[in-house]
Amino acid sequence: MNALKTKYIYILLLLATMACDDQIFPTLDDGEPVVVIDAFINNKNEPQSITVSQTQPYLNETELLGIEDANVSVTYGVSNTSVVFDHDSNGVYTVDSGFGAIGDNFTLTVVVDGETFVSYSSMNRVPAIDSVTFRYEEFAGFGQDLEFYMGEFWSRDLAGPGDTYWIKAYKNGSFLGKPEELSITFDAGFSSGGIIDDVIFIQPIRDSVNPFDEEDNGDFISPYADGDSLYVEIHSITNETFNYLNELITQTDVEGGFAALFASPLENLNGNIENTNENSDEVALGFFSVSAVEGNGKRLDISEVPIEE
Amino acid sequence: MKQFILTCVLSFFALITYAQEYSISGYIKDASNGETLIGATVLVKGSSQGVVTNVYGFYSLSLPANTYDIEVRYIGYNTISNQVDLTQGDQRLDLELGTDNLKLEEVVVTAESDDANVTDLQMSSNKLDIKTITKVPSFMGEADVIRSLQLVPGVSSVGEGASGFNVRGGSVGQNMILLDEAPVYNSSHLLGFFSVFNPDAVKDVNLIKGGIPARYGGRISSVLDIRMKEGNNKEFHGQGGIGTIFSRLALEGPIIKNKASFIVAGRRSYIDILAKPFTDVLNGGAALNFYDLTMKANYNINENNRVYVSGYLGRDNFKFDAQQGFNWGNNTATVRWNHIFGQKLFSNFTAIFSDYDYVLAFGDDEDDQFDWNSRIRTYSFKPEFNLFLNPKNELTFGGDISLQQFDPANATVVSDGEALNISLDQKYALEAAVYLSNNHKITNDLQVEYGIRYSKYWLIGPGNSYIYGDAEAGTRKPIEQTVEHNNGEVIQSYDNFEPRLSAKYLINSKNSIKASYNKTNQYIHLISNTTASNPLDVWTPSSNNIKPQTGHQVAAGWFRNFGANNNVEFSVESYYRLTFDQIDYISGADLLINEYLEGDLLSGDGRAYGLELLAKKNEGKLTGWVSYTIAKTELKVDGINDKEWYPTRYDQTHNFKIAAFYEINRRISVSSNFTFLSGTPTTYPNSKYVIQGSYVIPHNNDDERNNVRIPNYHRLDVSTTIELGKLVKNKRYNSELVISIYNLYSRRNPFSIYFTQEDVRPEGEALSQTEARQVAIIGSYIPSISYNFRF
Repeated sequence: MNALKTKYIYILLLLATMACDDQIFPTLDDGEPVVVIDAFINNKNEPQSITVSQTQPYLNETELLGIEDANVSVTYGVSNTSVVFDHDSNGVYTVDSGFGAIGDNFTLTVVVDGETFVSYSSMNRVPAIDSVTFRYEEFAGFGQDLEFYMGEFWSRDLAGPGDTYWIKAYKNGSFLGKPEELSITFDAGFSSGGIIDDVIFIQPIRDSVNPFDEEDNGDFISPYADGDSLYVEIHSITNETFNYLNELITQTDVEGGFAALFASPLENLNGNIENTNENSDEVALGFFSVSAVEGNGKRLDISEVPIEE
Repeated sequence: MKQFILTCVLSFFALITYAQEYSISGYIKDASNGETLIGATVLVKGSSQGVVTNVYGFYSLSLPANTYDIEVRYIGYNTISNQVDLTQGDQRLDLELGTDNLKLEEVVVTAESDDANVTDLQMSSNKLDIKTITKVPSFMGEADVIRSLQLVPGVSSVGEGASGFNVRGGSVGQNMILLDEAPVYNSSHLLGFFSVFNPDAVKDVNLIKGGIPARYGGRISSVLDIRMKEGNNKEFHGQGGIGTIFSRLALEGPIIKNKASFIVAGRRSYIDILAKPFTDVLNGGAALNFYDLTMKANYNINENNRVYVSGYLGRDNFKFDAQQGFNWGNNTATVRWNHIFGQKLFSNFTAIFSDYDYVLAFGDDEDDQFDWNSRIRTYSFKPEFNLFLNPKNELTFGGDISLQQFDPANATVVSDGEALNISLDQKYALEAAVYLSNNHKITNDLQVEYGIRYSKYWLIGPGNSYIYGDAEAGTRKPIEQTVEHNNGEVIQSYDNFEPRLSAKYLINSKNSIKASYNKTNQYIHLISNTTASNPLDVWTPSSNNIKPQTGHQVAAGWFRNFGANNNVEFSVESYYRLTFDQIDYISGADLLINEYLEGDLLSGDGRAYGLELLAKKNEGKLTGWVSYTIAKTELKVDGINDKEWYPTRYDQTHNFKIAAFYEINRRISVSSNFTFLSGTPTTYPNSKYVIQGSYVIPHNNDDERNNVRIPNYHRLDVSTTIELGKLVKNKRYNSELVISIYNLYSRRNPFSIYFTQEDVRPEGEALSQTEARQVAIIGSYIPSISYNFRF
């Protein structure tokens, strides 16, 4: 799909050579700071963190405006086990390890400036990743003659419709965190509309673990080169989290130029964090999500990858 | 209802009791090619009595027994008069109007009689003659029907390159576009840069923005009625051209002289052929092209019967290789039979087929594929009658029945060799309407057309209906129950009375005032939540969850002609429009291949008002017009902008356009147009926050929509046409060269402003920076040259 997307973009480029896209410096109103709770936790045996911070003016240099005096805790399971997250630094609250089991319900409670915010999530099932593989690809045209290696992961969606996942990829240990690389799935496909259940994840999703970067001079970089590693994780997410991340992609993966013709309007994300005091005007943005995680990885050795026609 | 109509019709027939009255009737045609003339005036000389030919060029006039001098006028043609003896009985008078050679090369801005601006009852309409359309300096040198319409008042768009057009604050999907009466669902080639109508085959373009007559229905904003040429029934001719984008060829001629003729016109883009030597991307089955073919034939069986068959097919192809790509296109077919009963009753029966579909295919091999197609199909039948009752009353009545078949998705997915069918069920809707309208000349000065259209709609099985639970405004509604329906079962029905009223008061021969009101209903909806509509947008029928859209519009205006020959027209019109149950979308709406689409739709109301000024010079060496619109168009939707009114994406406060044509001499003419548009609204964030260290989210604390305007738009285009004359020995061969420059002073007109995080991979713990960016779809001047010929 991404190789396809590249071809597609080249063809559109033919049409779009007339379009131009320039940075501008408009004057924006500055909104009042609002509390943001960024709480994506999982069952991995590694430190978990929840960040409590504030919004900032849009065109300021992006920084984390942490709130350091909040109380952050999560309760889970039938026995309502409570886990308190301790402040580490700059609004980041941590515990040493993931917790909970598949099927558990979780409640997040954050107290900030006398306001109590809560949110709910649950830990859903997740399929294992059978393997991670690499393949050789070629692309020729428009003065480009490219040879490159693409990574791919192999896993089968669990039987029964309605499972949602976040596919996270790490190249040489670094998370691929560009908005265009955010990959979420509804069962083995892209959306809830047409049910693609109980099959291997479809090819564009299997291929979504590839970074498409360019050199400073605009040259294409092969997603993976000899010796690079790819580690893929599947995080189970709730349908609500899927919708949130879907909106997040729309608002952050914004293509300019000719694609502006088919852009969506700027809209606020619908978070899942509520104020327990219905009479209070204070709101918190952000999201609370709990995942079960499966992972697998491989290092590319080009001598093992067949070069096909 | 049927009985109601019958009673009305019969009671009107009962009115035909004038003693000793006879009718004169017939067709008015162009002497050079036999094409019928729409809107020609047939007048009794020395009196104010007269009629205008209908869309088939037919007229009928009933007069007391006497002898009359009948005069026929049509702009750009020589006026002719004829003596008619109506003492003995009804007379048939088919006339052909000729043109001076001198006038032939002049641009004719309106194709109707010279005082029509003042005397015509119809307000809020803009006719564009095809000669005008071909003279407007155009993008890439390709004469374009819809782009030319952008130059008239009351018409706007979301921006350059966007598909479709917006009329008086209506959305793109609220325009009824008819090509020889067949609805066209997607009017664009190449995503929106060119319209699908081949100017070589178009005869008449009429945009009705208000005061919509009762015979039109189905959309709430406007009607764009495009009529194709019938084909020259006297001699064989051809025309065509080689342009920057298209190569065109049109052939027309008699099948039986003066009785039957045909026209076939085709266009194909050839950017792919030109690009082939420079790239091998287009090998191996890859393609990038678009084409259309327009055909029409007619046969004049006798003086009371005439049949027409017309068809259109067009396609856009984008293929990445032999297996992958997408394509889309319209097909339409129309069969019409004109029959004249006696001298006074003109009838037309039309059978229509229209189809729009698109196909997508992805996947490198058989084991991993995605194939998807979607279509909307319409079959309809329309009987229509014009009864020229007497000189004071002209009745129009008829009906319209359409079966619509929606195929939102036929899709299969293959993943690692396992195939899944993810198609959605087809949906069927039946739309029917009957209408009756009387064009009544109450006095010599006061003319009123009053009519009513009754429309009924059924969503019929087989299919499912869905019951949704409540959700917070602006979020997805949960599905609670799915109900299955059998073949033919009525799932949901709606009906509406749609009154239509137009009035004209002639103050004197140079001044009139006009007013109109219309109610319109729309039962099928274009589902599109991107800035510009795109080829993958689907249409969806009204259901238990989606109500029909309703529009009300009142308009009033003053019409004034200046000059000896009424050669300068001026009009000022104001309108107010209210709409109900317009479609909108939740954020994150999933519009494609979604069985539960209706749970992602919102419904809201709209209001629009404005003032339109138009001054036009129709004759002379310098012709053209100046148009200015001041307008506002807003929406109010529960779930967007805190349910407060907000301006639509195509709201343009000021919209100023000039189109000018100047004939330097008989061989060289120049044209120019200038456009100034207020910036359209967009949404600015006022803060941001970071999620998971990677994603920087724009946020507007007040949850506002379209709270800021992008900078103003202005553009100047010029072109010159050079007649090359008869270069070939064959005397009939004529050719011309058209050189044009679009966006002469290379302004980077903004299309949109967007906010994004920088497209760089942050290192380590660093957070992404954010920026505002502005897009210009056309960033420089675009020169083009084309060669046109005719023989």
